[in-house]
Amino acid sequence: MKKTAEAPRSHSRRESFPPLRQLTDPLTEDLVLHPGNFGLGKVPARLKPDATTTLVCGFCSTGCGLNAHLRNAEAINLTPTTDYPVNLGMACPKGWEALTPLKSPDRATTPLIRSHRGARLEPCDWERALVLFCERFKEIQRKHGSASVAWIGTGQIVNEELAFLGALGKFGMGMIHGDGNTRQCMATAVTAYKESFGFDAPPYTYADFEESDVIVLIGSNLCIAHPIMWQRIMRNKHNPEIIVVDPRKTETAMAATQHYALRPKSDLVLLYGLANVLISEGWIANEFITASTRDFDAFADFVKQFSPAMVSSATGLTMVDLQKFVETIHRGKRVSFWWTMGVNQGHEATRTAQAIINLALLTGNIGRPGTGANSITGQCNAMGSRLFSNTTNLLGGHDFLNPADREKIAGILGFTESSIPAQDSWAYDQIIEGIDTGKIKGLWVVATNSSHSWIHQNHFNQLAEKLEFLVVQDMYHTTETAQRADLILPAAGWGEKEGTFINSERRFGLVKKVARAPGQALSDFNIFRLIAQYWGCGETFARWTSPEEVFRILKGCSLGQPCDFSGIRDYRKIDECGGIQWPWTYENATAATERRLFEDGKFFHADGKARFIFEQPREMPEAPDPEFPFLLLTGRGSSAQWHTQTRTAKSDVLRKLHPKDAYVEINERDAARLGIAPGETVAVISRRGRLEARAFLTLTVQSGQVFVPMHFAAANQLTFPAVDPYSRQPAYKACAVRIQIQP
Amino acid sequence: MSILSEQSDFITARRLLDAATDGDTSRTLIDDLLAEQQQLTAVENFARRHENSELPAQARYYRDLIPLEKPRIGEQYAFAVDLDACTGCKACVSACHSLNGLDEDEVWRNVGLLHGGTEAEPYQQIVTTACHHCVDPACLSGCPVLAYEKDAETGIVRHLDDQCIGCQYCVLKCPYDVPKYSARRGIVRKCDMCHERLVAGEAPACVQACPSGAISIRLVTKGDIERICAAPGEQMLPGAFESSYTKPTTAYTSRQPIPANARGADSNYARLEPAHWPLVWMLVLTQWAAGLFLSIWLGAMFEPQVFAASRIPIAATGFVALLSGLGASFFHLGRPLGAWRAFLGFRRSWMSREIVCLCLFALATSASIACRSASLTAATAFLGLLSVFCSAMIYIDTRRPAWRSSLTFTRFFGTTLLLGSVGAACILSNLALNRMSQFKSGLDLATWSAIIIRSVLFGWETRNNLRSPQPTNVIGKMTLINSINAFNLFNLLFALSTISGLLAISSVGPSVTLSALFSFVFTFTSQIIERYFFFTTSTAPRMPDTAAQ
Repeated sequence: MKKTAEAPRSHSRRESFPPLRQLTDPLTEDLVLHPGNFGLGKVPARLKPDATTTLVCGFCSTGCGLNAHLRNAEAINLTPTTDYPVNLGMACPKGWEALTPLKSPDRATTPLIRSHRGARLEPCDWERALVLFCERFKEIQRKHGSASVAWIGTGQIVNEELAFLGALGKFGMGMIHGDGNTRQCMATAVTAYKESFGFDAPPYTYADFEESDVIVLIGSNLCIAHPIMWQRIMRNKHNPEIIVVDPRKTETAMAATQHYALRPKSDLVLLYGLANVLISEGWIANEFITASTRDFDAFADFVKQFSPAMVSSATGLTMVDLQKFVETIHRGKRVSFWWTMGVNQGHEATRTAQAIINLALLTGNIGRPGTGANSITGQCNAMGSRLFSNTTNLLGGHDFLNPADREKIAGILGFTESSIPAQDSWAYDQIIEGIDTGKIKGLWVVATNSSHSWIHQNHFNQLAEKLEFLVVQDMYHTTETAQRADLILPAAGWGEKEGTFINSERRFGLVKKVARAPGQALSDFNIFRLIAQYWGCGETFARWTSPEEVFRILKGCSLGQPCDFSGIRDYRKIDECGGIQWPWTYENATAATERRLFEDGKFFHADGKARFIFEQPREMPEAPDPEFPFLLLTGRGSSAQWHTQTRTAKSDVLRKLHPKDAYVEINERDAARLGIAPGETVAVISRRGRLEARAFLTLTVQSGQVFVPMHFAAANQLTFPAVDPYSRQPAYKACAVRIQIQP
Repeated sequence: MSILSEQSDFITARRLLDAATDGDTSRTLIDDLLAEQQQLTAVENFARRHENSELPAQARYYRDLIPLEKPRIGEQYAFAVDLDACTGCKACVSACHSLNGLDEDEVWRNVGLLHGGTEAEPYQQIVTTACHHCVDPACLSGCPVLAYEKDAETGIVRHLDDQCIGCQYCVLKCPYDVPKYSARRGIVRKCDMCHERLVAGEAPACVQACPSGAISIRLVTKGDIERICAAPGEQMLPGAFESSYTKPTTAYTSRQPIPANARGADSNYARLEPAHWPLVWMLVLTQWAAGLFLSIWLGAMFEPQVFAASRIPIAATGFVALLSGLGASFFHLGRPLGAWRAFLGFRRSWMSREIVCLCLFALATSASIACRSASLTAATAFLGLLSVFCSAMIYIDTRRPAWRSSLTFTRFFGTTLLLGSVGAACILSNLALNRMSQFKSGLDLATWSAIIIRSVLFGWETRNNLRSPQPTNVIGKMTLINSINAFNLFNLLFALSTISGLLAISSVGPSVTLSALFSFVFTFTSQIIERYFFFTTSTAPRMPDTAAQ
């Protein structure tokens, strides 16, 4: 690694007496720059590569190309790839620091076993770990039925591994229930798209950011959460109106041309209200609505109740504001709507996302450059998880309940159809509930940190104690979840293995092996191979020998689906193209680098029409009351932090880019009323837990609201465990708290 | 292959399940997969698409962000930051770190947050900041070994790493917290605006890496900068130090005016600064030495007989204190062997002047022990006082409010007088044990001087602390307030102990040598503690930061 390269020390204590003027010795040489070649410009001599290669970043869903600087095939440094079509030579700090977390001293380097609860985790060899894994899970399945063992997966591993985990779990080990942490970030977008479009299909390409003349960002702090997508907005030459809908004056709201600081969780009313004015003014795309959509009339009828006066009183925005908002949409020739977690993590999230989709359908802003109802994804492979985790969907966006789909997939995989369960998995929250009711006894957690990230964290952690066997497969043995495990399987991380991710704009990108995994850590792929072998289903997975082999299998699964990518020749083709967006069929394997869906006005429902879907808004589940008078908002703290920080906290540089201590943002007026001084440590208390944090007094949060970054472990001790009834995604963004001054 | 053999020790062979392996039957699938995990495949599998190009590929993005022409006479390069374009991704910090190959925890750029505005129009703005390559750099003028140069052609303020001796005075001098000391390397390093890249027509790392092109390099006229910075109260950003001090060249621009109440997110936090323990000891010990030689000189004027007899013990004590102080100072240097270069900066650095004065003082002390001469005694005392003056100027010259001249001079000369008189009293009370009559008058003089100086200093410190603004509603400053309160308490305790000890000597007489010793120990300790707080509560000016760190 660059950092361990022999950096010169001051040798003055041992070397000869220093001269009066000393201008060119090792301390100076250390920083002298030399041509790095490979288009890099100048670099320090000790970081000069002998080859470079591009791999996609393993943090967020933007999917930036990162150029690994290799020496003897090992990455010694990294820069964003200049000509990668996603990031155009830029990256956020997480990307720049992507190699650093790999070298952390708390990497899991051997399997670790806890002989009994309360005992320490002890290193063991793979043989013993695998035997124990199989014995314990099989024993639980014998006693409690095969559905009593479940897994919680991730959006952080490659497609080939996700598919292996899903196939091994359900078709090899006989599990019924598996879900992923993508439930926490993307389930809403999946459900909304499936119902509205007939397939989970974000329609856009990043070029749309540059083509729009009106950009509407709802519940998205793009500048911080997806800085490289914001870069694409900065490249927009059409002087766009940028509208931000967010209760907080975020970095993105600061940079916007219009900011609507609505009351939290009043977004559904606002969106219906906008639709109502658009319809009543006749500012709609009648031709498109007739040709490409269904249920418009019912929708038009439904939204009549959302009069400007009603919407104004519900959202706290003035009627003048609302009129301006609507007129901006109306005047726009190419309006794009974008949403992220502010929408997805709500108690009526699916309908809110669909209300956004409705606006795009209503105004015909879809299928053209610079338009779309566009969900911005969270994790690097959330999109891959949506297609290949084999949890909610059968591999490749198929349906477990559909016999034809089961037969098709069984045929492609060479399995018997009976090995594919004819029922849906439980969602994450239902699996957790299953632990409580005694239906789930064994849990296998792969590359996620539930003990930190799951809503109402204390409840999860209490339930984890009820499990008979908890396996955590992770890069680090120190995550909050790993610390509770009975068995830890040490996993190789991003950059230490091969495979593909799919980014927000449906682009396949390659992950390559440019670093050696520490100790005995193995890629998740190889761990799954071993488990298949030890479980006794090695024969079933005999074809699953390498990631690229599995990629071929997955191509087969996608055949004939909207996400068909069977035309992608191999990994090298993805590399040559700078990533490839689905669809990419065999017949159409020379398409453009940047493509959007629905250009022909045809959607994926059988009748080719998109649906207007709507429902009466509901009150938030835990509104503030006299006892808990503040509404707690949670979200990303800075671009340098990733989720539960298992990786980003390992980089000194990233740690310098955000406040070290937990903090809570409190409105200055509220603080004055409560007598809270700046920097004072206060307790934020909900009905479920408490968090001590420094008070950061600011005007960017409204009176009556407080904001806590989700990265601090205690944040989710407070959150209220509500889920959207359709997507079952947790509603992290709103719960009632009170603030207590510390004695 | 050594990896394999290590692992085969670790993993017991399992032959039952190695159906997937072929050939060597003793190898298991585990062995194979562990071996495969260590094979790096990226180069082999993916032929490099980039040709071996020396031309920087990123140039297409930064061409407009660096000047086409070299600076003309009177011009220099400067950073320009477009605040409207900066939205807080902070990539500039990591790009600088990675492209310059900095140490794991080393950054040359920093980001802070300004916030304010009104309820209706809240304001927040991320601020990226690095070295401002000042027209009149304080780091450069303070450096005792000329380890800084302002490049004649580009105006870039460069640090000469091998010339640096790690005294860290530049860290104290820079009002923007730019130079960073690396204990591991024993030197300071800082942003050089990617000097070598600029010379070759490449953009600095931060400029290359900003996704929105918010950072650029511009040519500025030094005269213009001087004129702009001369305006009273001029500062680059709210919370930044007054520009008139160093004349920074970075320009922060925004189409919308920054609200008047905008402040750094860290504005309510006062952190404790480093204690610099070697400097604490060095200052107190050298000032004690100066005080003792002053007492010899003054004593010789008022009580010639007494001080003729006590000259050698007092001077010897002073000599030892001075050498110990000089010795302590070496522990503050990252590269002490280079300390002999310290005279190089004599023309502009108070640090150089202090070191030269202390060396002369040390020579004079040894001479004045060796031979008795009134003029030599006077010269030695003078050199001692001059050294104390230079020491004080080192801190006054940083322009930290807590180190303003009235406070620093009083503290440093106060220590000199106090330790000089208490030290002399202690030595005289020892000598007087056997020859009371001979030393009585001198002892009384020293003791009562000490009591008066102690009382005056205590009164002055107390008045200072009462007067100094202590915001009562700002808990973020608690650490600082606690420190000041702790200091007040210590100050009272030590003053009382010292005075009671001294009173005991003067009333009961020199038989209470133990009391004299205690008085001295209390006084000395109180000065060490005072100097500790002198450093730790000297809040350093900085650019706006992110919040409490």
